[in-house]
Amino acid sequence: MIKRINSLGRKRIARDCVAISVQDGQPRRFSASIELSETGWPQDAIVVMEAMCAGSPVVKRFGCGTVGSLSLPRDIPLDGIIGQNVFFSLKVIDPSEKIGRLLGVAENIRPIETGKQTETGRRGILPVESVPLGQQLWQLDFREHDVYLLVNESVDGLSERMRSDPMIYSLVYPEVIRQILARAIEQNIDMEEADDRWPYLWLAFGKNLHPAREKPPSPDDEETKDDWIEQVVAGFCQMHSLRDKYALAVTRSDSAGD
Amino acid sequence: MELRRFNNKGIETFREALAICREGPKSDISTDLLTNSEFTYVHSPKIDIDLISFATKREAAVYLNKLFGGLSKQDLLNDAGLWSWLSLFYFDVVCPKQSGERKVRNDYTYIFEPKSSRHFYRHLLFVSWRILDIAPSHNRLMLDSSISSLDKFTSEVIKRLYLTRIPCFFEVLDRLYWDESIGRARPGVTNFAKVTAGNLAHRLPVRIRQLEKTYDLQSLTADQLIELLGEEFQFDGGVVKQMHLSLPKE
Repeated sequence: MIKRINSLGRKRIARDCVAISVQDGQPRRFSASIELSETGWPQDAIVVMEAMCAGSPVVKRFGCGTVGSLSLPRDIPLDGIIGQNVFFSLKVIDPSEKIGRLLGVAENIRPIETGKQTETGRRGILPVESVPLGQQLWQLDFREHDVYLLVNESVDGLSERMRSDPMIYSLVYPEVIRQILARAIEQNIDMEEADDRWPYLWLAFGKNLHPAREKPPSPDDEETKDDWIEQVVAGFCQMHSLRDKYALAVTRSDSAGD
Repeated sequence: MELRRFNNKGIETFREALAICREGPKSDISTDLLTNSEFTYVHSPKIDIDLISFATKREAAVYLNKLFGGLSKQDLLNDAGLWSWLSLFYFDVVCPKQSGERKVRNDYTYIFEPKSSRHFYRHLLFVSWRILDIAPSHNRLMLDSSISSLDKFTSEVIKRLYLTRIPCFFEVLDRLYWDESIGRARPGVTNFAKVTAGNLAHRLPVRIRQLEKTYDLQSLTADQLIELLGEEFQFDGGVVKQMHLSLPKE
C-alpha cells in the first residue's frame, strides 16, 4: 500500500486564494478572483480553472493566463454544466514539459456566492435523504463528494427522528461513524491536501474526536485502524452523552406508556 | 405507442411484478400496467415510441438518443418513472425468455434509481443511452454487447466519474482493450479473480488515480496518456503481459 506522502513536488493552493461567484441565468455565469502572488511558482506557469457538476462527466476548462499575468474569469458562461452542485478546480501547470505537470492544485472549490440555481457551501457533513429502501430503515451511500445517510421514505418522520430522537440516533450514529471512518481510511488520502470531499472531512472530524487527537492510521495498519475508529466512536458517544440520553428517553417513553 | 412514465405507485407495482416473475420464471408480466392511468401518466411533451427488438446496447442507445434529443438532459438523468416504464415496455428485450424462462435480475436492472450511486448505472436502458451520450465515439467495448446484461467494461467505467471526465479516456480505453485481430475485447482484461498487468478492473483506475496527482490529464491526447500509463499497459500480440503484482494478504 502506498503511504500518504506528497512527494510529487506539487504545492498546495490554499482555498482562500480563490473566490468564486456563480450567477443565475441560462446558462449560468461565473466570475472568480485568484491570488497567487506569494506562491513562488514560475511567472510563466499556466493557470486554468475547471468547472464541473456532481454526477456529471462534463468538465469545462477556462484559461486564466499565467502566474505572472493572470486573466481573471469575469462573467463567463457555464454552458453544459447542469445540476445545482457546481464545483471548481484551480490548476497551476508547468509549461516547460511536453506533458503538463501540475505544480499546484486546489480541487472541489465551491462557489461562495450563488443564485437560486446553484448550491453554495455544504449541507453538513452527513446530509440525510429519504428514499425507497424496502424493509431496510437506513443505509449509507458514498457519493463523489458527500456520504449520505439514506432513510426509508415510507416510514413517516424517520428522517427527522434520525436527528432528534435519542432512542434512534444513539443507536444508529455510532455505527454510522464506524462505517464511514473505515471507508474513509481505505481511501488512503493525504490529509494535507486542500479538498472538501467526504473522506477529508470525516477523517478531520475523527481526528478532532480522538482523545489524543491522533491522525488516522494507514489503511494497511488493520489493528491500529480498528482501535483508532473505536476511540473516535467512544469520543463521539462521550461528547453527546448518548447512553444518558438514551436511558432518559427510554424512561420517559415508559412513563408515558404507564 | 405514446411514451408514458410510471408514478410512484406504478414503480412499486412493477417491482412487485418483477418479484413474482422472479419466482415463476416462465410467467409474463402483464403489459396492462403500461397504459393504466392509475399507475402511469403520459409523458410531456408527447412522444411516440416504437416497440423494437434491440439486440445490442448500441441499437437501443441510438434509438433512445434520437427519441429523447429534444428533452432536458437533467430531467432524463433523474427520471425514475420514465426509465422504469421503458423497462416494462421493452421487457422482452431487457429480460428475454430463453428456453421458455426469464432470468429476472436485480430490481435496479429494470427500475431506475437515479439517487443511488451504486445502482444508477446498472439500469440497462439508461446506461445504454448514457454511454452514447457521453462517449459518441470509441464506445464499441461497451455498446456492442447484449442489451440484456451489464458488461464489465460498462460497469467498471461508468461508476468512476473521474475516468469519464478525462477527454481522451474513451479513446484510450478502446485502444488499450479492443483487439482488432479478433474483432472484440482482449480476453482477460476485466477479470476480477486474476490480477494481471493492465487489467481494467484492478489496474487502470489505480494508475489513472496516480497520474492525476502529477499531470494535467484534461489536456492530454490519447497517445500521451497511453505513454504515461507505462509498460504495464503495452499489450503484446493480444496477450496481456504477466507481471508480478502484489495482492493484499488474506
